[in-house]
Amino acid sequence: MLIEQSAYSNRWRQVSPAAKGLFALCGMVAVFIAKTPGIACGIALLLCLTTLVGAGVPSVRYLRVAAPALLFLAMSGATLAASLQSGPVSGMTVQLVPAGLARAAQVCGRSLGGLTALLFLALTTPLTDLIALLRRLKMPEALLDIMVLCYRMLFVFAESAHAIRVAQTARLGYGSISRSFRSLGALVAAITLQVWQRSLALHQAALARNNDGPFRFLEPSFPAAGRQLAVACSAGAGLIALAVVLP
Amino acid sequence: MHIMEGFLPAKHCIAWGIASAPFVAYGLRTVTKRVREYPEQRMLIGVAAAFTFVLSALKMPSVTGSCSHPTGTGLGAILFGPAAMAPIGAVVLLFQAILLAHGGLTTLGANIFSMAIVGPFAAAAIYRLVRAARLPFGVAVFLAATLGDLLTYVTTSVQLALAFPDPVGGFWASFTKFATVFAVTQVPLAISEGFLTVIVCNALARLNPRELQEMRVATGSEQEVQA
Repeated sequence: MLIEQSAYSNRWRQVSPAAKGLFALCGMVAVFIAKTPGIACGIALLLCLTTLVGAGVPSVRYLRVAAPALLFLAMSGATLAASLQSGPVSGMTVQLVPAGLARAAQVCGRSLGGLTALLFLALTTPLTDLIALLRRLKMPEALLDIMVLCYRMLFVFAESAHAIRVAQTARLGYGSISRSFRSLGALVAAITLQVWQRSLALHQAALARNNDGPFRFLEPSFPAAGRQLAVACSAGAGLIALAVVLP
Repeated sequence: MHIMEGFLPAKHCIAWGIASAPFVAYGLRTVTKRVREYPEQRMLIGVAAAFTFVLSALKMPSVTGSCSHPTGTGLGAILFGPAAMAPIGAVVLLFQAILLAHGGLTTLGANIFSMAIVGPFAAAAIYRLVRAARLPFGVAVFLAATLGDLLTYVTTSVQLALAFPDPVGGFWASFTKFATVFAVTQVPLAISEGFLTVIVCNALARLNPRELQEMRVATGSEQEVQA
């Protein structure tokens, strides 16, 4: 997972997650209140540059991470710009109308801005920090428990899926379409069983350690959090001001 | 079919969030109640969320050449029950947004509604209906998974059409547009996922696992898997 690698290795790893979250939130707000697509794109560029230059995320990785979302944007943007019309003679026709084009531009600008704000947060902050932040924001404990478990188990499952896949491929399990389906089915069934086996094992391990409540971990401390929050707050306010002031 | 970050207008984001919240809360309550009855299932939902996340990252063999991933809504609804799929799906979608940049934070509510609520509930209802009609187990699983996926994608198209009605043709023209464009990838995906889910359920029935019997999961539907 490319995003994970950056989240743990970027230059702003030790910056308080509250500050990074606040800045991303301000970016989102700014993009949503931007009046023209141009301003939204400008804010997107600023957010993108902050991630690349400030946090030191490699630009190739940034593009690879953003590619699937950009593909969705291209498809839906084109759909928005085109307009279907049913004429009495010609049946359904596809047309480009100015109103559709303007709206497509507006949505594309907003989506680009939203994507860069999301990527800023995702590429600079590990999920464990985000979960700790959500805990401080009083998210329901039951959901937090699911998130903690999900994050810890997902690498276990990914590894076991990978191992099974390698073994199957070595035996030509993915040689043809029908074989691929059968192999993938067997793979998923094997992992499905592990869901129960592993959850039971985890439960017994937790009981053996006298745990029957929520999972608690030591939260990382961020000594400069106050100063960082102030910086993030003023930078975020700057973004919002840009969106409000520019015509 | 994830709607990307920032694509929906602010009002729609909030409205879909409000629409999804009660389902997630109800799902959490159901899960908590079930855990009180069977304490050994305490870790199940969290582990199931990780399973769903990994499942959605697997590449499916595709006939058309496009790269497709299963959604896991049908299988999840049959294995864990549709109510539990709402919190599971909410966490999985949040993780997909943060770890893979699929979907987004502002569109989380809309994505939860289509993929973690409509899909699983439809799949579970179809599964029950088909089983009640005394059709074979395989047919029920196939229809549940395929139609669950198709309804998910129809819901997404409705969400997009509601947010962006066509300037000339209105809601229906816009819905037709989105539904047609996404059908290219979504219809083959739904059919492949239907086949895959049947193979998985048959394999599970063949393995006849002790764990599934002992833990009496998903009350009722699991016995059918083993039958």
